[in-house]
Amino acid sequence: MDGRILHFRLAGINNQNFIMRDEETGTWWQQISGKAILGPLKGRQLERVAFDEVSYALWKQENPRGLVLLADPKLEKKYAEADWEIRMLRNPTVTPVDSRDPLKPRDLVVGISVGEVDKAYPVQKLLTENPVTDALGRTPVLIVVGPDGRSVRCFERIVAGQTLDLFRKTGSSLFRLVDTQTGSEWDFSGKAVSGPLSGKSLPRMQTLKDYWFDWKLYHPRTSVYHAGELRRISGS
Amino acid sequence: MNRLLVSVTFLCVSTSVALVLIPAVLIRPFAPQTPSDLEVSYLLRYHNRWLTLMLLLIGLSSVLVLWQTMRRRLAHVLLTSSCILLGGFAVLSWQNHFEWMFHPMKQEGFTSAEKASHVQSSDMVLAVEAHGDSKAFPVPAMAYHHLVNTQVGGEPIVATY
Repeated sequence: MDGRILHFRLAGINNQNFIMRDEETGTWWQQISGKAILGPLKGRQLERVAFDEVSYALWKQENPRGLVLLADPKLEKKYAEADWEIRMLRNPTVTPVDSRDPLKPRDLVVGISVGEVDKAYPVQKLLTENPVTDALGRTPVLIVVGPDGRSVRCFERIVAGQTLDLFRKTGSSLFRLVDTQTGSEWDFSGKAVSGPLSGKSLPRMQTLKDYWFDWKLYHPRTSVYHAGELRRISGS
Repeated sequence: MNRLLVSVTFLCVSTSVALVLIPAVLIRPFAPQTPSDLEVSYLLRYHNRWLTLMLLLIGLSSVLVLWQTMRRRLAHVLLTSSCILLGGFAVLSWQNHFEWMFHPMKQEGFTSAEKASHVQSSDMVLAVEAHGDSKAFPVPAMAYHHLVNTQVGGEPIVATY
C-alpha cells in the first residue's frame, strides 16, 4: 500500500468472516473484501490477486514445476481434517436470514462479479448442470466443474471477438469442451487443444467459493442462478 | 482516606478488566457484530495497552498505601488479588487471543510438488501464478492459519482463507 509492504496478523472476526491487522499501521482489514474497515488506512482497498481454487491433483498436473506451501511441523496436527467442510455445515451463522432467500445460509456458492453485476451459482447446480452457460451483464460466461468434480472455473465465452457456445464432449476419457461455432476442443484450463481455434485461450474470470450468507452480506444486490433476480432486501 | 483508596483500587481493577474483556466479548465467533461493536473494540484494543499499564501503576500505589494501614488478613488477601488482576490484565492487553486459537505460521516455506508429502491429492489448494512463479496454498493449512504473508513472482501478497 503506497509503496510500503504490509505484514498481516489475525485480529478478530466480523460476522463469521475474519479481520486482519497490519503490523505497520494497526489498521483492521476485512478478509473477504480486502478493505480497511478501521484505523489509519480506513477505506483503502488491497488489490485482489487472481487465484484458482482447485484440487491438488489438478494443480500438480497443470503446474509440475510449481511450489507448495510447507506445513508448520508443530501445528500440522491441528490442520483441517478431510471432512472439515461437512462438519462446518453444522456451525451456526449470525447474519440475518431472509425467508424469501432461495438458499440456506451455509449453502455453498460460486460467486462471480463483473462490473456492477454479482451472481451466485449454487455449487449443487453447477455439479448437475456442468457446464453452465450464462451472461453477466453483457459478458457471456461459462462456469465449468473440472474432471475432479470439485474444481470450478469461470471463463468468458469470447475468443477473437467471437462469442462461443460450449458443451461437454461426451464419450471422451479426457475432459473436453467443444464449441458449436468452430468445433474446436477445449481443456479445463480454457485452452483450445484442437480445431480452428487451437492454441487460443478462453479468458479466465475470477470466482469465489463462499457460503451463501457471506456472499450475500458483501454483495447485497446479488442474483442467484436459476432463481431469477434476488429482490433487494429493504432496510439492508 | 482508606475508603477513597479502596474505591480507587476497585475502580482500577474493574476498568482494567473491562478494557480487556469488552472487545473480547464484542468480537467473538458465533455472535453478530455491528459497526459500532467493531469501532468500540478497535479503540479499546488500540488504547488498552497503555491504559492498563497506567491503571496498574495507580492501583499498585494505592495498594501499597493501603497495605500499611489495613492489618486484617482478609484485606491483605483482597489487596494481593487486586495486584494480580491488575498485572494479569495489563499482560493480557498485549495478547492476541485469536492467535492462541490459530497460531500464525512461523516461517513460510515452499517445496516442490514432488517433494510435498503433506498434501493429499483430493485436498483443495489456492493457486496463484505471477511472473512465471506458481504457488499452491493447501486449504487444510490455510483454514487453520487463516493467513500467510509471502510473495509470488516478487509480488508481496497475503494469502487468506
